[in-house]
Amino acid sequence: MGVDRDYKCRVIKPDDFNEFWGLVIDELAGIELNIVCEEDKLRSDENTTVYQVFFDSLDRVRVSGWYSVPNSPKERLPAILLVPGYQSDPPIPKDWSAKGYACLSINPRGKVRSRNQFDPGYPGLLTHRIVDRNTYSYRGFYADAWRGVDFLLSRKEVDSDRIGVAGSSQGGGLTITTSAMRKEIKAASAGAPYLCGFMDAIELTDTYPYQEINDYLRTNPDSSEQVENTLAYFDGISFADQISCPIIINIGLQDNVCPPETGYSLFETIGSKDKKLFEYDGHGHEAGRYVHSAIIDQFFDEHLKR
Amino acid sequence: MIDNRPIDFGQFWYSLGKELSEIPVAAETEILQMRSTDFADLYGVHMSSIGPYKIYGYLSVPKGDGPFPVIYYVPKNASVLEIIPQGTSNQIRSRYITFSVACRGMRTSDSPYSAMYPGQLTDGIESMSTYVYRGIVADTLRGLDFLLTCPYINKSSIVAWGNDNALLAGALHGAVTHIVSTPSFLYDSIQQASQTSSYPLEEFNDYFRLNPEKRDEVSKILAYYDLKFHASAITAETLIMADHEGGLHDSKTLSEFKENMSGQVTLHTSERSSYRDGMFAEEWVTEKLFGHDVAPIVPNHWKSE
Repeated sequence: MGVDRDYKCRVIKPDDFNEFWGLVIDELAGIELNIVCEEDKLRSDENTTVYQVFFDSLDRVRVSGWYSVPNSPKERLPAILLVPGYQSDPPIPKDWSAKGYACLSINPRGKVRSRNQFDPGYPGLLTHRIVDRNTYSYRGFYADAWRGVDFLLSRKEVDSDRIGVAGSSQGGGLTITTSAMRKEIKAASAGAPYLCGFMDAIELTDTYPYQEINDYLRTNPDSSEQVENTLAYFDGISFADQISCPIIINIGLQDNVCPPETGYSLFETIGSKDKKLFEYDGHGHEAGRYVHSAIIDQFFDEHLKR
Repeated sequence: MIDNRPIDFGQFWYSLGKELSEIPVAAETEILQMRSTDFADLYGVHMSSIGPYKIYGYLSVPKGDGPFPVIYYVPKNASVLEIIPQGTSNQIRSRYITFSVACRGMRTSDSPYSAMYPGQLTDGIESMSTYVYRGIVADTLRGLDFLLTCPYINKSSIVAWGNDNALLAGALHGAVTHIVSTPSFLYDSIQQASQTSSYPLEEFNDYFRLNPEKRDEVSKILAYYDLKFHASAITAETLIMADHEGGLHDSKTLSEFKENMSGQVTLHTSERSSYRDGMFAEEWVTEKLFGHDVAPIVPNHWKSE
């Protein structure tokens, strides 16, 4: 199947987009982090200390993360916020610490260790309360990722001028929304970005997780307009023009989960002048990871290491 | 190959089978309208496993008259239970009965035991009686027991698909006719773990770092689950999805395992592309179950036109 590189997703950024998210940011700012950061001796080793982290986010939902730091750093560290895939379990990011970064691998609400107050499940998260932007699941989910930046800023070992964000699939989508909304992010790497071009993706693919929206619309046919209206506020493409940091994107041209057409459309919309798209023909949702991981390392070395 | 195989290996697995057989499947099914389509119905299935413990699965049944071939997605080493694996064409549900099961600890089978990931693979590993994996294998086999109660299945076409558990299912349950497996953590686990820092195998490294005195005991426990000791019991036609050359579970590492399997085996070396590897698996299964003339059902972006 040929991919249209000039494809434009139909999402239109709502006029009150900034107002909507500004209220969320304001609400978030009024909530104390209440950080608990406990060393996990089982997961720590001779090179790395791993912590289990908990803090408060939007609606005072307690979210968690794995925080990994190289042992005995000689100076303040560059940091990575690692944002997770849709259904995968957030990893313990010792590999990032081995490369010299402090790294927070965040578990937004509903993920393992962050399920006590909010747990729509999988499938389920993508359409939870989807007819109302004020209660849609991703309102808090996005905020949880942004809150990860606040955690990193609170750490004395982290250099606040050298924070990056990385992730693939849903992590790619969260990389877009986080780098757009948090100017503390100095470099971003988004792989196979999900949550971009929702309404196009559900027609371009026949796979889960986007199928969740088709399932919802099939059983709630009268909600189509409301769903599309809500998703316009959460579409990565609506956020993209606000990204100003250096950013790289990688997509697989045979991606069976996040259609590459949406990746092209997203890339065109990104506001940063320092942006680069890597296309991997012959690759699916892994989006050329085995080649591209070295490019990501080099990118962050260039932008976050002195 | 059979060095270090526990002398009571057969007895260990016989006793598990016996224990399982004494617990009725006691399935309760409910239709899930939201995930049903014009080509397939989806059901949630609650079943009993050893413990006793209640586990859950998603059963998709094509519309129309059966019998239908079955793809059984074995329990994963991850928290989320999927209806079909992410990225699989939903249309696959028009051709196959699909059944995915959450073992104890996964979401939907996490009451009272909720596993952590990472964490599940070494949970209770300090002793034979507390190690969680015996229950996980039982849950894997229970899914097959349930499938055999379904009147619309084609019993000559039951594919166990997934990680190491697919191979265990083939070794320990006679219903499995075909296997598609990506071995990741139960083949020579401790030796393999020593060569990586990636999870889930890193769980063993973590455990031994904190509990070095437990190495011998844990090695003995893991021997019961080691795929190499199950190889000869696998008679189903099998596709092994090996790592790329030089990877942890590459064709070289798995060659002896392959040689010791009793059924016909195809070993595919990963091309480091989920598209190419995925196409190979879909084509393999379609050919084995339907012959050369039937095209595999693949996602839109994998179609050539």
